[in-house]
Amino acid sequence: MKYERGDIMKKKLNKVVSLVVAATVSVSVLAGCSKGDKKDSDKNGVTTIEFWAAPNPPQQAYWKEMAKEFEKENPKININVSAIKESPSSEASIQSAIAGKSAPTMSENINRGFAAQLAESKALVPLNEIEGWEDILTNRNMTETVEPWEFSDGNQYVLPIYSNPMLFGWRLDILKELGINEAPKTYSEMLEATKRLKAKYPDKFLWAKPDLADPTAWKRWFDFFMLYDAASEGNNFIEGNKLVADDKAGLQVLTFMDDLRKENAYLLKTVTDPFETGVGIFTDIGPWTLTYWEEKFPKMVYGETFTLAAPPVPDNMNTENVRTFADTKGLVIYASATDQQKHAAMKFISWVYSNPEHDLKWLEQTNLPPARDDLAENEAFTTFFSENPALQPYANAVPFGIPSIDNPKYNELQTFIGQHAVNPIVKGKNTPKNGWNDMKKAIEGGL
Amino acid sequence: MRKQNGVGWLFASPYLLYAILFFAIPLVWSFYLSTTDWNLISPEYNFKGITNYIDVFRSPGVQAALLVTFKFMAVFVPLVIVMSMIVAAIVHGLPKFKGIFLIGFFLPYLASGVVSSFIVKGLLSYNSPLNTTLRGKFGMDIDWLGSPFAALCVVAVIIAWKFTGYYALILTSGFESINAEIYEAAAIDGANAWQRFFKITLPLLYPAIYTVIILSIGVTFGIFTEVYQLTGGGPDYATNTWQMEIFTQAFKNLQAGYASAVAIVASVVTFLSIFVIRKLLEMWGKRNGWV
Repeated sequence: MKYERGDIMKKKLNKVVSLVVAATVSVSVLAGCSKGDKKDSDKNGVTTIEFWAAPNPPQQAYWKEMAKEFEKENPKININVSAIKESPSSEASIQSAIAGKSAPTMSENINRGFAAQLAESKALVPLNEIEGWEDILTNRNMTETVEPWEFSDGNQYVLPIYSNPMLFGWRLDILKELGINEAPKTYSEMLEATKRLKAKYPDKFLWAKPDLADPTAWKRWFDFFMLYDAASEGNNFIEGNKLVADDKAGLQVLTFMDDLRKENAYLLKTVTDPFETGVGIFTDIGPWTLTYWEEKFPKMVYGETFTLAAPPVPDNMNTENVRTFADTKGLVIYASATDQQKHAAMKFISWVYSNPEHDLKWLEQTNLPPARDDLAENEAFTTFFSENPALQPYANAVPFGIPSIDNPKYNELQTFIGQHAVNPIVKGKNTPKNGWNDMKKAIEGGL
Repeated sequence: MRKQNGVGWLFASPYLLYAILFFAIPLVWSFYLSTTDWNLISPEYNFKGITNYIDVFRSPGVQAALLVTFKFMAVFVPLVIVMSMIVAAIVHGLPKFKGIFLIGFFLPYLASGVVSSFIVKGLLSYNSPLNTTLRGKFGMDIDWLGSPFAALCVVAVIIAWKFTGYYALILTSGFESINAEIYEAAAIDGANAWQRFFKITLPLLYPAIYTVIILSIGVTFGIFTEVYQLTGGGPDYATNTWQMEIFTQAFKNLQAGYASAVAIVASVVTFLSIFVIRKLLEMWGKRNGWV
């Protein structure tokens, strides 16, 4: 009797275990096999789109406000705005989401190089193929601005939101102590400033920036490319799969960097707020820094403590209308979105950019110059810039901004610039000529 | 016997299922990816055979990762063992509140690597009070994160700080299991402190030390956050760990297939290293009669 009961128990137990295991495995396998197909809209006909905003609070606040206003006028479209996770980087989060089939409908904060990577993998929608694209360009007055954003296949995958020409900041107060009343414009003026600085303040540095010794790809935008774009008058660096860099300009830049090293101009050690504390007197500055300073370093006053200038150029070059790297980022729609979501996203974009007031609000909230052709003429913006003189140099430099390279391998290629050219030269481990040649060889191999 | 087997399988089934779903399937998938040129986001997977593996062995990043891991091991393992041993010995000797102190030492283990790295970066900054004092009073101008050996040591120290409390917990339980009468008997026999340590403490603490050494070696193969935040693998690959290399290739260079090959090689190296070290530790234990 005892044996029979045990037998029955065992059979029941086996059944239960089998069922639990089978159910769990089935659910897991089905979940794993799911392609994450999205519904076009819910039963009430409301289309929901996911919008990932840049992990920058003012940008998130702007997009949330825009979405709220848009939803009032378009109750059939629901926009969920959330910040792109930075774990460990915003690009990695987007890539993981695409790989995991959980990409949003659209996102901002996309640079040209990353867009090229995504476009090559067919993860992005060619915006020019969606109805309403041309209207956006016309309404926002950005036909010329968007031209350099065309990809090699003739498509436009990114709608540029802002075009931010990078400028160099100078500690004007310290320059004046050295007997220099305005920011140096040429290499020899800068070397002279370094000599005077080291003579008066041996513990200060011209350029206190550990990034100069770091090969991380994006860091080259804010040192090498600013100087190269200026020296080469905006000559392309890579076109398609070909290195077309201006040898003369490249060598001039590296020789200049080497000359600065010889004058002990660099501080390459980790340092906190070097420009603000006066450890260094020269650094790249974007408009976002001005917002940061308003809160953290109110003593940094434009025209008194610091000034802004275009990158220095080789001697005998024209110091007007100097080209510089432009930190430009834009908005994309992902290929995984449904047709209805794509059209809803386009409707939202169209709504945002049909009104210049929205761009003005963007400018007021983020300090980032909107990517428009009429930034310098439109009264809405000129008034803003006259009230914010520290931002005026950025507006003036917009026509001279050169966007980043659009090669899908930009990360690897820009790493070579650091590894073979910039990093060894600022450390004195290679000559400018060898560094330039080593870099070219590595990039050509990578292409 | 069969009935017992069934119950055993029942209790083991949740973990087995977990292991199949989260270890076995990803491992097989990762191996498959390592033979393709998948770029993480493309729908295309082109078969490349063993090309990725050939590239792995030629890569300076991978060669650095292999070397850097053993360098970390050489600095981190002895450091964390000594630190956790000291903490465990101090806590063991406390008359009261041992638990509270252990929790205190355990807290760094729960701290975010990002936050601790950020704080360390500030502490080691050129214009921090520490460096200003070192330069001003002692004429020492140390490039903490810019020179290869110093950067490696900084990362090793942060990770040692993080894990000391955790390992001290294991060692404290080892200390607690040693009968105090053995020490009393040894003292009566005239054994000094060193003799008591080497003849009583070390042999009886051997299982706990064995566990801590194996765990700490495992840690050196998984270092990422601190390196990512502080050095990015530099300078000149001096802190480029396996995880850093995998991340760079998969997420920065978009070579997920190649990164999978790096991951597979890393797991083989990890397995072999731990296997060899385990054998050496067991030999050490057996030779001294502790096992």
